This record gives sequence, structure tokens and C-alpha cells, in this order.
Amino acid sequence: MSRRGIAATALAVTAALGLTACGSSDDEGGANTTAAEPVAGGTLKVAFFPDNPQFTCLDPFQTYWIEHRTVIRNVADSLTDQDPKTGEIKPWLAKSWEVSADGKEYTFHLRDGVTFSDGTKLDAAAVKANFDGAQGVVKETGGTAYGASYILGLDHSEVVDPLTVKVVFSAPNSSFLQASSTTNLAIISPDSYKKTAKERCLGQYVGSGAFTLESYKPNELTVLQKRPGYTWGSALSKNTGEAHLDRVEFSYVAEDSVRTGNLVSGAIDISWPRSPITVEDRELIKKSGGVIESRSLPGVASAYYPNASAGHVLSDLKVRQALYKGIDLATYAKTSFGDDYPVVGGAFDNTTPFYASQASKLAYDPDGAIKLLEEAGWKPGEGGYRYKDGKRLTIVFPTSSLSVSSELIQDQLKKVGIELKLDVHPPAELPALYKNGAYDLASSYFTRADPGALQFLLDPKYANSKALATNAAAPETTAKIQALFAKARETTDDAVRKQAYADLQALLIDEGVVFPQYERVQFAGVSKDVHGFAFTSESFLKLNDVWKQQ
Amino acid sequence: MTTSVVPETTGTEAPAAASAAAAAAAAAAAAAAAAPATAAPVAGAKPGAGGALLSERLIADSEPGGRWVGLRATARTLAVKPGFVLAVLFIAFVVVSAFAPGLFTSRDPYSTAPAERMDSPSLNHLFGTDELGRDLWTRMLYGSQLTIKAALIALGIAIVIGLALGVLSGLSGGFFDALLMRIVDVQLAIPVLLLSLAIVTALGFGTVPVAIAVGVGIMPAFARTTRAEVLRVKTLPFVEASRAGGASWPRVLLTHVLPNSCGPVAVLAVLDTGVAILYIASLSFLGFGAAPPQAEWGTLISAGRNYLVTAPWVSLLPGLFVAAVVLSLNHISKTIQERER
Repeated sequence: MSRRGIAATALAVTAALGLTACGSSDDEGGANTTAAEPVAGGTLKVAFFPDNPQFTCLDPFQTYWIEHRTVIRNVADSLTDQDPKTGEIKPWLAKSWEVSADGKEYTFHLRDGVTFSDGTKLDAAAVKANFDGAQGVVKETGGTAYGASYILGLDHSEVVDPLTVKVVFSAPNSSFLQASSTTNLAIISPDSYKKTAKERCLGQYVGSGAFTLESYKPNELTVLQKRPGYTWGSALSKNTGEAHLDRVEFSYVAEDSVRTGNLVSGAIDISWPRSPITVEDRELIKKSGGVIESRSLPGVASAYYPNASAGHVLSDLKVRQALYKGIDLATYAKTSFGDDYPVVGGAFDNTTPFYASQASKLAYDPDGAIKLLEEAGWKPGEGGYRYKDGKRLTIVFPTSSLSVSSELIQDQLKKVGIELKLDVHPPAELPALYKNGAYDLASSYFTRADPGALQFLLDPKYANSKALATNAAAPETTAKIQALFAKARETTDDAVRKQAYADLQALLIDEGVVFPQYERVQFAGVSKDVHGFAFTSESFLKLNDVWKQQ
Repeated sequence: MTTSVVPETTGTEAPAAASAAAAAAAAAAAAAAAAPATAAPVAGAKPGAGGALLSERLIADSEPGGRWVGLRATARTLAVKPGFVLAVLFIAFVVVSAFAPGLFTSRDPYSTAPAERMDSPSLNHLFGTDELGRDLWTRMLYGSQLTIKAALIALGIAIVIGLALGVLSGLSGGFFDALLMRIVDVQLAIPVLLLSLAIVTALGFGTVPVAIAVGVGIMPAFARTTRAEVLRVKTLPFVEASRAGGASWPRVLLTHVLPNSCGPVAVLAVLDTGVAILYIASLSFLGFGAAPPQAEWGTLISAGRNYLVTAPWVSLLPGLFVAAVVLSLNHISKTIQERER
């Protein structure tokens, strides 16, 4: 094609884009909010972020990949449910429950008539089989199974009568009631626990949910079928009976722009990204008549965790404090995710129960950062960076993905003389790097509607990456963190719990253990034909009320 | 394209017609040509030069019938081809920008300006700005620095190893030739991008590993071409004569075989610069390139791909720039190739 031809094509494309943009900008696609009568039937197509490459799993207890927790939420029910608005725990499979005065015994009274999709009864014995199975997995994996942090201190469970089950702890665990509402403690059939952990990961289990798992092809397609005869939905859904949809297909799409394109062109109904949809794509979806749904994911915010072990620059508290002052979180949120995006205010996202904002300590203050660095002995030198004993103030951040947003933080830190080195490696090399301590900052996040979620990152006993947890703080600080977690967990008094978590959140910033990066907001682009969209308390997708305009 | 077949007007060239650069080169070469061995006809054995063989007299390179006359004629005919001139000028600009990007921009390629995020192209920002408000034109130029250098390293590796292997193989013949060529065969059977990916994964990420990977990947073509040329040249009568006259193989190699077989290799080199740039851009697109915030051309294209619909310039302008560079190189290579015939 000649040069003129290329120019002409480019012009035509631009013009076409401009025209479509003007053509459909009249309404904000509010169709989803109208209270039309739900229509039964249809296939809902959802596009996810790619499947977990290291650990493809759909087993409730072991899965931490948030997309798959959405799948599990619709396949398996839990003992309780959590209200997304208030954080209150509501009945579901359990009609009611009692907690003993010492906080060590939880007695659940189950709803009658609930069956798994293979026809077996969901009774006290089945629930006990689940807790026994979970304990087995924890033992098998040496405590690294993801669900381990949900049943800390669990001693045993016992069948009181066919519809009453008692869960007994060796030490009080005040976050257990919330844990019982999560996908991770969703109840699956006793037969499922006869399979190996690996078989369950590949979807060989049976739940009691409004959908059944038809097939799971890792990183390709997950298909759910409507469960006929379902009548025990949680009261938090409008529709407690059979699902409106016949079938749900979850596909995995790596490129954000492709996912958005699929939604706009009508190839999918819901686009479910991992990182927030860009401002530009949000506009595009709205212009196509779609709706943007969003909710902060409760739990640990996206944050950097330092390597504060001896010999690393971040072992100096002053440098860590300078790091807080050198990062402009407000500008970061605005530039990366748009004007109305919430600014992270501490180790947790703001939808986490017991959230206590630390925003005042995280304010941008480059002069303060420079002052702290001067005090710590880092003097300005070549290239605008700071040096001490001839060594440049370099913070190594190994990462597997080229994220343009980190380059903004890199540039912000350069202004106070800190070099943030974005060290790109293949994803498979990262765990070894962390293990060898060959990093200064590592980023992580984690979703659970309870502050206890952070134990999965920071408590060396339960952490996914032991190295990251051990290096994040000096041993005495780690001990303090563990003590505060224990204090919050082992009390039955909400006021004490609240205080302990508030102290914890303050400590994490004062001691420089967590460097928040951004609030994690779960976005979803929803086609105008989809109605009844709802987030669970953990910002997963709940399909009970969803129906599709035929 | 106009395939202008200009007749060889070797006898009519006046020295004044040559460009200053060609004249300087001619003078230097004339001094080097003092060796008696160069009396043999050289450089593509042009029909006009063939007659010189009748005389034992040395011919100065700039004299009618000399080696540089053909080149000057070539330069003159090429200078009136606008496409070629444009391509050369553009490549010259890119190469200069690769070594001194500061000449064409006063901005810092790494300093962010969130307020100017995603500005569309304007006089202030020729290529617009990216999602952090960085000037894309500036980033493009600083990207040349990395990409062109990587391409030159890759080409250097490919030419040095390729020439060495090709000459060794062509001259030695027999088992050694067969062995080398079978190795090259195997390497040719593996897609270049795949081979480069494997090498860069083993070496680690960065501009130099990418350059090495691409260099090794495109090397077999050079070895093949060189070998073919060496096989052709080594049977020519003047080479045999030179051997018969007692010149050693290394001497014959350096004075006769290499200079006479490098023409097609030079064309291939220009053509493969474009190929190397494409591979380097592909590898950096996939995230194997320089560490951020540095950005090679491929990285720039990749960074903008999420905004292809909403802010197309972020990805398309760097993409068009790369396309223009490769197109220019192909055009230059093709034009030279036509002249060679």
C-alpha cells in the first residue's frame, strides 16, 4: 500500500471511531437499574483475567485466585453469608448459630432439605467432613494451603445431631464467623473429600450452589449449568430459588483491550478484569450502552513489602519513612485509574471491616523525605541520586510485568534521590528471587473481607511466601504484629478487636512494614442486556439475581 | 518503481562530478592499490574494466576504467531517485538520533507529567504523550538509541561470525564445509524469533542480550551467502593466477576473495538491518527489552496497545516509525541490489 493509502485508511478509521463515539453517547445505559421482570434462560458469557499459571485450581479451600473464587461462589454455598453493605454475617446454610462465651465453640444449626447436586444430603456429618478434610489439607501442605489462615486454631468439629454441628477451637478465633461466609470454607460433598487435593483442584467436587460445574479447562473455559430445584439461596439475594440463567461460560482473556473490545462488540456479557479498567475503556463501554460496576476489594491493598533484613537499604527505618513521603499516592491513583479513583489509606482497602485510615501518615512530602534521607546519611551525588559510602540509594523491585504505573512511582522517587530499579524477570524466577532475598521491595495483595487476610502475607507461620513475610520486618516487629493479630483473633469483644486492628494498622505504617500502592477496586464492564448484577461482600460476582434480556 | 537501466558510461566520468566523500575514499583506495596484485580486474568485473586486462599498466582507481568510476556513476544515478534519497535521509536521521537524541528534543524521556496525560499529537508534542504524560517523540528518539544500537550489535555479530564461517567453509570445502553447512542448515530450520526467544530467556532481559539473540538468529543467512560467493570467486581465473603466482591462501583470501564476494553480503546486511530491527522490536514488545523506564521501540508499541481504540497514537505512531525505518532500509537494499546486477 502506498503511503497515501495508509494515511487515507488511518483517516477513515479515525473518522469512523469519531462517528460511533458521537452516535451513542446520549444515554448512560441505565437499563440495568430498571426493575423489569427477570427473564429465565440464556447463556451468560464472562471474560476473566488469565487463569493462575502456577496453580490451576477450583477447589474452594485451596483457591486464592480471585476470579475462581467467583466461580466457586456460584457453585458451592457457605454456612453463612456476609452483607456487602454492612459487613454483618447473615444466615445461609446455617439458619442460626451460637458462639460460646469463651469464643472457642461455634454451634451451627443447619437448614433442612439442602442437598448437594449429586443428591446427597447436606447435613451435620457433611459439614464435619469438610472441616476434617480442610484440616487434612493443611497438614498435607504444611500450613501453606490458602485456606489455612481461615481456620487458625481449629481443634475439631463434632456432629451434635443431624442438623447441628459444633466447631471447636483450641484458641478463640473471632474471625471464624466471617470465614464461614467465604468461598474458602464453602461446603462441598463428603465424597469430594475422598478425592485427592489435586483432583478437587481440577473441579472434581460437588457443591450445593445454584449452579453446577459442568467443565473446567484451565485457562480456556469454565462452564456452569443451572441447578434445577435449588431453593436455599441466601436472603441477601432477591432470588433465593433457581437461577435465571441456564448456563454461564467463563473464558480467560489476557489483554485488557481485547476484553473491553469483546464486551463492546457483544461477544461477551461481562468483562471482569484484574486491574481496574482504564478511564478510556470505561468511556468506551459506557458509550456502547454498557454499565461500569465497581467496588473496592476488601482485604489487603496492593502494596509493596520491604526487605528490611540486614544489609539492605530498607533495613534503615529512616529510609523506609522517606519512602512514604516520597511517593505521591493521590497523583498515582488519579493518573493510573482516573479522577474519581479512591486513594489508598493504609494496608487495607476501605471496604475491609475494621479499616482505620492512615492517610495522614501517607501524605506526599518530598521535602520531608529529603530531610530524612539526609539524616540517614544519604547525600546528593551524580545523576540526581543520593549516595552513602560511594553506594547509590537503589531500591530493587523485581517484577514480571512491565507496568507503566510503576514508572510513575519510579519518577516520583527519583525526585527525592531514590533510584527504584524495576528489575524485569520471567514470572517463574520471582519466587526464587524472593527466597534468596535478592530484592528490596516486593508487591502483593490479597482479598478477604477481614483484616486477618494480612496474616497470609505477613505472618511467617501462615504466609504464602515465607521469605517475603520474614524479610518484611525485624523479628521484634513481626512478633508485635503476630501479637496484635492474636489479640484481635482471641477476643470475643468487638471493641477490643477493633482496637487491636487499629493498633495493627498504625504499627504497619509507623514501622514501615507495608507501603501501600493503590486501593484495589474490582471493576466490571456489564453489557446493557445484563440485569441484576451484584457483588458479594468480597467483591466477587454473584449470579443468583442475574438475568439476560433475550 | 522505475527500474532505470543506466548504461555503464565508465569513460566519461570527470573527477569533479564525484561527491567529496567518494573522492576522499577514492584517494585512500588509490594509495592502497599500489600493490601489484591489484592489477587484476576487480569489483564486479564490469565490461569496461575487462578491457584493462590487456595492459600490464596499473590503473589508478579514479581513472577511466578504474574501480571507483562505477561507484561514482552509481552514486549519480541514485542521487536522482527521490525515493532512495528520502530513505537515505530518513535512515541518516534515525542513526544520528540514535547517537545524539538530544539534538532533536529538549525534553527528558523519563520525566512524568500526569497533568498532560494522553495528549494527542500537536506541535508541542509531535507524537502526543503517553499515559504518564511523557513526550512520546522524545521517548521514540531515546528508543532509537537502544534499538539502533541493538540492531548494530546484532548485525556486527551476524556479519563477523557469518563471514568467518562462510569463508572458512567455502575455502576449505570437503568434510569441514559439509559439517559447518549442516550446522547452519539446522539453525536455518529453527524460526529466528523462536531461537532468539530461547537465547534471551537463557541470557536474561536487556538490550545487549536481545541484540546477541537476534545476531545469532540472523547469522546463518550471512554464512550461506558468503560461502556461495566464495565458492564462485575462488574458481575465477585471476584467483587461480594469483595462487599460481605464489600468493598464499590468506593473502588471496584478503586481497581477492573477500573484496569480491562482499557485494551481496553488503546488500544482505542492509536488508537484515531492517529484519534485525523488527526482531528486536518484537522481543522488546514481548517485554524482553531494556529495563524500565528505558523504552525500546517495541516497548513503546506494547505500552500503548491497551489504548489502541481510545488513544491510537500511543501505539500507532511508534509503530509507523518502525515501519518507516524498515521500509527505508528495504528500499535502500533493493536499490543497491539492482545496481549490483
